[in-house]
Amino acid sequence: MSTQKLTIRKWFRENLWRHAVALGMSIFALFPLYLVVISSLNPTGSLQLTSFIPREISWNNYKLLFTSPAIPFLSWFRNSLVIAIAVAIFSVFIGASSAFAFSRLRFKGRKQGVQILLLVQMFPAILALSAVYVIMERVYKFAPNLGLGSQAGLLLVYLGGAMGVNIWLLKGFVDSIPVELDEAAKIDGASPMQIYWLIFVPLAAPVLAVVALLSFIGTLNEYILARLFLVEMESRTVAVGLQQFIAGQYSQNWGPFAAGSILLSIPIVAIFLSLQRYIVSGLTAGSVKG
Amino acid sequence: MTLFFKGRFALFAKIVILSIVSAVLLMLCQSAFAQREYAIAGFLLLAVLAMNYVYLTNKRTVPFKFFLPGTLFLVAFVIAPIIFTVVMSSYNYKTGNIISKEEAIERVSALGVEPDENGTTFDIVIGKAASGEWEILVSDITNNRYFLSTKSTIADVPISDLKRNEFQVATEAPGFKRLSAEVLSQDEGYSKIQYKYLGEYFIVADQPEVGAVFRQTLKYHPENDTFINLQNGQVYRDNGRGNYANPSDKAQYLEPGWRAPNWFSNYAKLVTDDKVRGPFIRVFIWTVIFAVLTVLTSFAFGLLLALALNKAIRGRRMYRSILILPYAMPSLMSILIWAGMFDTEFGAINNILGTHIAWFSDANFARAAVILVSLWLGFPYFYLISTGALQAIPSELNEAAAIDGANGRQIFNKITLPLLFQILAPLLIASFAFNFNNFNLIYLLTGGGPKEQLEGQIAGATDILISYTYQIAFGSNTQDLGLASAISVIIFFLVASISLYGLRKSKVLETFG
Amino acid sequence: MKNRFMKGFAAVAAVAFVTGLAVTPAHAAGEIVVWADETRGPNLAKVIAAKGDWVAGYTIKVVTYSSFDALKDAFDKASGTTGPDIVVAANDWVPTAAKSGKLAPVTLTASQKANFNATQFFDLSYKGKLYGIPVDINNVAMIFNTKLVSSAPKSFGDMVDYYKANKVSKNLKAGLCIAGGGMSWGAHSVFSALGADAYLMTKKGTVNTVQSFNPSVFGANVKKYLLDANGKSNGFFPASDTGCKDNFLAGTVPFAVIGNWEWKDYVAKGFEMNLMPVPSVNGGYGHMFGSVSGALLTTFADKHGVAAGAKSLLVNFFASGAGQAAYQAVEGRPPAAKEASSSTMLSAGQKGFGSAAALAGIPQIGAFLNNNKGGANYWDSAPAYWTAVLIDRKNPVIEARKLAAIWKGNVASGKSDL
Repeated sequence: MSTQKLTIRKWFRENLWRHAVALGMSIFALFPLYLVVISSLNPTGSLQLTSFIPREISWNNYKLLFTSPAIPFLSWFRNSLVIAIAVAIFSVFIGASSAFAFSRLRFKGRKQGVQILLLVQMFPAILALSAVYVIMERVYKFAPNLGLGSQAGLLLVYLGGAMGVNIWLLKGFVDSIPVELDEAAKIDGASPMQIYWLIFVPLAAPVLAVVALLSFIGTLNEYILARLFLVEMESRTVAVGLQQFIAGQYSQNWGPFAAGSILLSIPIVAIFLSLQRYIVSGLTAGSVKG
Repeated sequence: MTLFFKGRFALFAKIVILSIVSAVLLMLCQSAFAQREYAIAGFLLLAVLAMNYVYLTNKRTVPFKFFLPGTLFLVAFVIAPIIFTVVMSSYNYKTGNIISKEEAIERVSALGVEPDENGTTFDIVIGKAASGEWEILVSDITNNRYFLSTKSTIADVPISDLKRNEFQVATEAPGFKRLSAEVLSQDEGYSKIQYKYLGEYFIVADQPEVGAVFRQTLKYHPENDTFINLQNGQVYRDNGRGNYANPSDKAQYLEPGWRAPNWFSNYAKLVTDDKVRGPFIRVFIWTVIFAVLTVLTSFAFGLLLALALNKAIRGRRMYRSILILPYAMPSLMSILIWAGMFDTEFGAINNILGTHIAWFSDANFARAAVILVSLWLGFPYFYLISTGALQAIPSELNEAAAIDGANGRQIFNKITLPLLFQILAPLLIASFAFNFNNFNLIYLLTGGGPKEQLEGQIAGATDILISYTYQIAFGSNTQDLGLASAISVIIFFLVASISLYGLRKSKVLETFG
Repeated sequence: MKNRFMKGFAAVAAVAFVTGLAVTPAHAAGEIVVWADETRGPNLAKVIAAKGDWVAGYTIKVVTYSSFDALKDAFDKASGTTGPDIVVAANDWVPTAAKSGKLAPVTLTASQKANFNATQFFDLSYKGKLYGIPVDINNVAMIFNTKLVSSAPKSFGDMVDYYKANKVSKNLKAGLCIAGGGMSWGAHSVFSALGADAYLMTKKGTVNTVQSFNPSVFGANVKKYLLDANGKSNGFFPASDTGCKDNFLAGTVPFAVIGNWEWKDYVAKGFEMNLMPVPSVNGGYGHMFGSVSGALLTTFADKHGVAAGAKSLLVNFFASGAGQAAYQAVEGRPPAAKEASSSTMLSAGQKGFGSAAALAGIPQIGAFLNNNKGGANYWDSAPAYWTAVLIDRKNPVIEARKLAAIWKGNVASGKSDL
């Protein structure tokens, strides 16, 4: 079993397919993105689709984002990060506590409640958006800082989905945490709140990280609602701000849009990398043993 | 550590936080009430009461301590808009019938005037009469006539009594109190008055310095809720569908109308209107195929990747960072890049394959393209959650199975996969529901096409229900929000029943005992 | 337990009522709110601020949306609570918004009207009432690359002959393509050059609803000029606008239809503004749409109590030569007002588009083009024809008959909305 030859063969059997799959999918993933990168370097402003070799390379699109006085890109970036991080944190709390209750507490209507949560999300939202707009218009009347046009208002609307969106993901993980753990704690006299904070939250950290990442990404890329709320130039997010290059009445200028999109994906990758440890670390194994 | 969750300190902290939140909400409630937003004020008040009850008592409210914040947001920004949509589905709510009845009466009256034959306009100065009434000082320079006019009186002023500027416009007259632009801008009450002029004609202070001569053609009679055309005596009555119409000729009605309840007409239209009903079934079938294929392919590839990278192989971190990218890039950007890549003449895909396929004008190629792009968009999500789920499966299970002599494949088929399905089934269903309504992808990639526009087809080969609805509802000519709401409700029932069926099948709900 | 609840709640309520007495003001009085898109908004704000007294006594606030789409989305949803008093928008918003009671009519004096071309009022009117002031003009023109062709082509056939003769030697990707305005709006001049007009205007500037295009003639022209012997596209005119601009700039396409909002990109690449309308098969020119953007008065202004002020702003600023000249000096589009268009500030590009429009421009009439009573609206049916014939190789005459029927139906139905 321990000869050198066998180990190599084993390595091939065990690892080669992994590299093949990962490499193949990576190429598939990168292929269109490569075209985004070339487009961001294309000074004419149209999408580069014809060839894989850029016709000419210019950094003007990136320069434009940082130097043009009409494009406060850094403010947009800061707004995007602030809103996305806030949404991520709040949705994790709201989602996690609901999932905990659905998974661990016994009460009437538990099954119906979770079904309603799932079903409510299936409503096609295109028309419901008009209603959200009307509600926030009215809120604006008595509280301009929370209504239409404010980042805080946008945050509130985003949190409307916080309970439902990741509830099943979270619940799946809570279910996989052994019940013995909190039963033991209950015998020691812990209240549900204590069990939640002291046992559940630390154990669920990895999945909470996944949920945080998912809401972070979702919020960064959202623009349909954001463009109705964030009208002031300085209060816009990157996704809203970049729209001006491609959703004009007649003209589309893809270069800066592509450049901005690439910059926007940097924090996502950064957050992903920094949370990778949690996303990947073994959770249940450790807890049962410890 | 437990100190934070038990004892005096915890109670004190709870009261402080509750007080602050309640204070803010009550303040908002009060402001909302002052602005006559009673529904919002009521909601806020209920929220405050519920919050205090839930967090200050302990009997029967324990689960709600966990639910309440999420539920409040859900009700305000998800459930309330859904209720709004459902209500609108029973209204005649479309272009031409958007505003309320009161507003419509006001608009019809405002539009029911016509200028005199020459479109006469005068220079005017606005002020108040001695009685405190709005009054205008009118300079009819062509006829060299100057007069003061109010709602009920008109009186010529001799030129000798006037003060005029270099353009012969009168600026002051005896007994007339001129108001400054600053005062007028704060109170435009003057612009609502019909100042007396010749016979049926009156002057409207259209702008602060210009008066135009009009006469009323349509007059509203509140006592019997009718409009009467003053010139020809024609009567227009509420036709019950949101317009004032000529009772003997239904096609003759006044604009704008208002949103009026029409109960189930929008739903009935789904059955009776050929244009809406015709392609419904075909679109529905493709919608289901599209959603199922998208979920299955994305899940398969995501899981495959998760398995491949579930071991510390060289370059794993790099692979992971690359694989997350399709999900990280704004989808608006990537979908449009894909659309360009499928271009027949210049697209990268035909370039690589060395083909000349017109991807988006052949139904099957277009569908394949749609699935491919949605796979690209979707697999990173499934990769992420499958990775998480694999971690959640207790390693003891696999170890125990291995000790019992099971090989890798058996472990995977018998233990890992069923457990994965149990954890992920609801997510697969949620993803199915998301793709069922994945409007952005279809709209940006193919626009629903290919479509035989010249044959009068409304639904294209890749149109899914939601994009098809959008076509009907938001076509450039009219926006039929009532009909669109009705279709949304129908779509909701379709996708909800399919999903519930899936949930039952996957036995997920049984985990609730 | 009950006791604890009551005590806590009392404390909470007390705090709330001490802090909760602030009531915020609603809409500011005497403030006129103008909504505009991402390019017009900042320029309007700049120009309006430069001369503070366009309307005495009022303050003017310009709200800029992040894109034209966002502006439309917001205006569709807005109500009297937060909606604008004036919105600077596309002409085709007028029929729908006026029908729904969102727009209020504007009365202009005869001298104010004389400052505009009568056809410009077409698309800002609904059922005989005018709802806004024309602000700027958007149109297209054909540019030719003088490094490839030395002189302006005389007819459509000239261009096709040039393409066929030089396709291989000069490695041409296409002969004529649409770089600006898309395959429906931008391509109307090509339709028209080959004999298909969505509608025609009489010499007096009214719509000629009788005359329509002859599908047999148009189909035969398409066959003759755009297809090869096998009924396949000869490559002269691509069915999509993808890559057109880049190819023209790279010198692989001799003729391109470009928009007046992007001429600076071509100048930056060293091209001279050799602009003309697309020459037609019989020596005339293909008609192209000229659309006006309008400053529209909303009914929200009345609710906010600034309707009279908003009308003054429309007349004093938007409808005046001084206002438009000042604005277009920054914005760089051709102004709509006659007084402003004689301004010396106009560039060669602006003038080139202006003269092309003078030769072959027709007003863009939403009542016809947005109408779908013929089976599909213009915007959908026009590109569908190119796809059917140039890509799917369908018979150009049969498809042209369908197209003609659709456009005729739309015009017949749209007449009542003029």
